[in-house]
Amino acid sequence: MASTDLDLSPVAAPTIRHRSRWRSIGVLVVLVAAVMVLLSQGLLRNLNYFDTVDQVIQQKAKIGSTQIRLEGVVKPKSITRTATGASFWLTGSGDHQIFVQSAGTPPQLFQADIPVVVVGSFHGAQGWTFHGVQIMVKHSSSYIAAHPNRVKAPNGTSR
Amino acid sequence: MKKLAPRLLGSFTLLSLALVVWLGLFVTPKDQVQGDLVRLLYIHPAIAWVALYVSFGTAVIASGLYLWPRSRSMTMDRVAHCAMEISVIFIALTLITGSIWGRPTWGVWWAWDARLTTTAIMGVFEVGYLALRRANDDPVQRARRSGVYAIVAAANLPLVHFSVNWWRTLHQGATVLVQNGNLLVHGLMLFDTLYSFVAFTALFFWLLRARYRLELARESGASAALENRLAERRAEGGQK
Repeated sequence: MASTDLDLSPVAAPTIRHRSRWRSIGVLVVLVAAVMVLLSQGLLRNLNYFDTVDQVIQQKAKIGSTQIRLEGVVKPKSITRTATGASFWLTGSGDHQIFVQSAGTPPQLFQADIPVVVVGSFHGAQGWTFHGVQIMVKHSSSYIAAHPNRVKAPNGTSR
Repeated sequence: MKKLAPRLLGSFTLLSLALVVWLGLFVTPKDQVQGDLVRLLYIHPAIAWVALYVSFGTAVIASGLYLWPRSRSMTMDRVAHCAMEISVIFIALTLITGSIWGRPTWGVWWAWDARLTTTAIMGVFEVGYLALRRANDDPVQRARRSGVYAIVAAANLPLVHFSVNWWRTLHQGATVLVQNGNLLVHGLMLFDTLYSFVAFTALFFWLLRARYRLELARESGASAALENRLAERRAEGGQK
């Protein structure tokens, strides 16, 4: 049986607090901040991750001694490993090439006839030796099965 | 038939993944340059495929179908939500497997080139989608806001895909989805690579089905709990 003490008179509607709207806005603000942080690490500085040997030779005066990432193919039979790193020639198209002296241990896949990206700089506007502080191997999307009888090219490589 | 199809999907997924792993670890040859590092080729591209195209694509399409009045239903919203959750896991796996391969190959765990950066941004967008859903209590409002968000976030996908073509990146070009169709993977390595795409796609659909059923159970459980509380309140009112 229903109680006679129930108060059924109309009450004022409670204030609607748009919590979900503010929470949504908060999420979007955090999201935009996170994306800006990620973009600031790379894309906002330079969309291209590296400059090629050809480009660097062309823009040498403009580059000066700024730290850049130089990309090229390691010239066969040019690698000299030292106690502190390695030196080698990086080739571009045609006869374009730059001598690199890099400190630190090169990556495991570093070898002749492979594209690499070297982080470093030239010392002064006149110097043409590229002083590297880090070598990264730029692997292609080509996958060749290892085979002991694979024919080698005249320059001693298998590609 | 209704119960047979999921069991077939599960068995197919399990056998396919087992085949990919067996071929990848024990049968396919080493790579001329990478040696055994090539074996990550049989999972990383396929995981990325699921993360960016299959899973995220499903979430975007389902979101679009929800927003379109003629096809609007909470089913579409649930599918979008479940698919996006799976995409978050797969995109994390993409970045992890990529780093594991990158450290010995490139020489670094990570590089802020266009491909890796846009992929990381996509991951942030996907986590943002899930956070946005948690911020909204009303189911209809939640479905609408997250649906619009997913469609807008999809604008990043072409940037991720074409980043290796538009800009100079450390990350190599596409392994399978090459523009000129000239794949540079051969023999058994190619078969295992391509089949891994089939296996992981099947895995996605298996996970989607399982997650969707879980979501339905959660919603009906929440409804049942609410009904129970209402019944208790009515009973209290009757006792007074």
